[in-house]
Amino acid sequence: MNSLPVNTWEFNEGVKNTDILSAISSEFDTEINPATTSSLQFYDDFDTHLWKANYLLCQVNEQKFQLIDHSGCINEVRASSDARFWWEFSDSKVKDKLQKLVGLRAVLPITSLNLIEIDFSLRNGDQKIVVKGHLTQSMVGDKVTCYFTLQALRGYAKYYARVAQLLRPFIKVKINDFGLRFLLMGQDIQAIEPKQGIPLSLTEDMRTEQAVRAMAIVMLDQAGLHVDGVIADTDTEFLHQFRVNVRKLRSLMSLLKKALPATMIDTLKPRLSSIASKTNKLRDLDVFIVAQDSYRAMLPANFESGLSELYRLIGKQRQQEKNKVARYLSSNDYKTDVGACAAELSLNATFQTPMALKPVLQVVKKLLLKRYHKMLAMSAAINSQSADEKIHELRIEFKKLRYLIEFFVDLLPRKRTGKIVSEIKKIQTVLGDYNDYCIQIEFLNSYVDDTRVEMSKALSGLIAILYQKKTEERPKVESALAYFFTENMTIEFDLVFEAAETGDSK
Amino acid sequence: MKVIACYSMKGGVGKTATSVNLAYWAAKSGLKTLLIDLDPQGASSFYFRVKPSSKQWAKRFFNAYENLVKHIKASDFENLDIIPAHLSFRNFDTLLAGFKKRKNRLKRVLKGFKKEYDLVVLDCPPSISHLSESIFIASDLVLVPVIPTTLSERTFEQLMAFFEENDYPQNKIVPFFSMVQAQKSLHKATMEAMSARYKMFLNMVIPYSSDIEKMGVYKAPVDVFAKSSQANYAYIELWTEVSETTKKLV
Repeated sequence: MNSLPVNTWEFNEGVKNTDILSAISSEFDTEINPATTSSLQFYDDFDTHLWKANYLLCQVNEQKFQLIDHSGCINEVRASSDARFWWEFSDSKVKDKLQKLVGLRAVLPITSLNLIEIDFSLRNGDQKIVVKGHLTQSMVGDKVTCYFTLQALRGYAKYYARVAQLLRPFIKVKINDFGLRFLLMGQDIQAIEPKQGIPLSLTEDMRTEQAVRAMAIVMLDQAGLHVDGVIADTDTEFLHQFRVNVRKLRSLMSLLKKALPATMIDTLKPRLSSIASKTNKLRDLDVFIVAQDSYRAMLPANFESGLSELYRLIGKQRQQEKNKVARYLSSNDYKTDVGACAAELSLNATFQTPMALKPVLQVVKKLLLKRYHKMLAMSAAINSQSADEKIHELRIEFKKLRYLIEFFVDLLPRKRTGKIVSEIKKIQTVLGDYNDYCIQIEFLNSYVDDTRVEMSKALSGLIAILYQKKTEERPKVESALAYFFTENMTIEFDLVFEAAETGDSK
Repeated sequence: MKVIACYSMKGGVGKTATSVNLAYWAAKSGLKTLLIDLDPQGASSFYFRVKPSSKQWAKRFFNAYENLVKHIKASDFENLDIIPAHLSFRNFDTLLAGFKKRKNRLKRVLKGFKKEYDLVVLDCPPSISHLSESIFIASDLVLVPVIPTTLSERTFEQLMAFFEENDYPQNKIVPFFSMVQAQKSLHKATMEAMSARYKMFLNMVIPYSSDIEKMGVYKAPVDVFAKSSQANYAYIELWTEVSETTKKLV
């Protein structure tokens, strides 16, 4: 199959369509189709998942959206103008793709593009079309940019070359990969800029207190990026990511507290704890609402009215809780607390403890070994009779261990650390599933109310099913622990994180 | 990829008009279509304003698919390409006579197009010859325009007999009435008799129409200059029927 040239050029500023057409019409009969104008609104989520995956979501009218992939292939979907979540789009390939790419995120308008496009054909002396072309005028504010695309036709390549020659005086630059993505890249779209405000650069011999301060400031900054989304209640991921960053910050403080001055701990610990606790309930409600479909699927149809009553109640509570959280995050109390944390973290290192002065990589490796061996001992004490709390404690330890690795992953041996993290993730999934059942049972129990008979029946049904699932999950916990804590894993930790001698965790 | 030949051993029955309009509607329906003008008169190429190469290339036509590819030209319409005829195609029979396995030659070279095209339409010259036999073997469907007159009826009978004598599958033959003048009693009577005798006639008939003649003036398929004409409607319906028949082919 022949591959025919298709090229696009940007014209010099000030060149008009009439200039171009008069240059061409000296040798060709020009057939111009009526111009089409379009105003396209583009959408993406806060994390620009679509842009990063080379997709564009574009609203073409009040009822229709298009998802355009990297090759320009367009899939259309019907949805109302205010559709924001994947489940609000009608059943289609687009809906499935959005579910995969943006998950629970809302898609929001990021920019718009105004285009005037004209198709035209050039005919030779036999009145045969020998070259096809497309003019694109992109308008951003007052700035108009003209692009010209020429398409050669099979068997008529020499005419294409001639037209390209006639246009040469008007051309500013040849454009590779011309399309909507190219036109959007020409705009200054803040929404697709990387979100990280403060860059973090760690070195292995950086003193521990300095490293922790630098990292903590980034985490606090990252948490702050999600506040507006929580207040606006754009999607539930804003609160989730806000909490993840606060949790990581608290873990960092806790894991490396011996490298930090007491004043810093005194300033940050109670404030971060207060910030996190104020968002707990809203997160619990979000989790339960997100899992609504799976809960509904667990119960037979005769529990439907009770479950709907429960969800109405939870929906109402969420609304109240969301307002409460939004008020709090807009309050001076919150701003003062965050300001105090930021001010404390921004102070120069004071090196009040011996650990504060040590190179961070050395400290982290030692800490990782210590934590691993502590967890090994905790795991050894767990059996089929152990209380749920013991499993919960170990789950928290795994979380901290993974955080500690991930915080300093750039300083650690990449490949072997990656393998360890992948094993940690696997066991975290098992422990997390078990914990989720425990938490959900507790959460649902708190709603049992004798005055609401139907709702309480549905709750009892759900609790019974979840209890059954939890019981089935329990043996998996012990198996997963046995699978993780092997002699080989201990050797691997000792080797990767450089114990003085194998088995030495001091 | 399917191959449809517009064939009749009789001239002036509407083969070229049918090839041009069917190829146009096939392309418009989304099929990547290649029209090969095998008739050295080059009428279908002319209707698409496509000129042949100045080189005499008929002797390379049956050698390899790559030789044909070089001569493909885009039409003015999306999805439709053309290999224009060349006067040297008048020598096809002499050329084929010199080949071993000549009957399979056309089928072999067309095979190369299957990756690129969904449909190949062959506009055939009026003869019954080595080339015609290559066409019968290469085609999935031999579309035969029949003017409902005594002479055309006789020609059609000859074609059926030729297929039978040479063991070519007669079910490839799909005739339809062309250039029909409904007011003529002879046309009506012939159509009735032939439809009763040959059940494979398509339902759609192409009327005798000045709009079809005007294709030469406008150098375009009927749809381009006479969208609302009866002739255009007839070609749309004919394509629908041919397309359905083609889909049934294994």
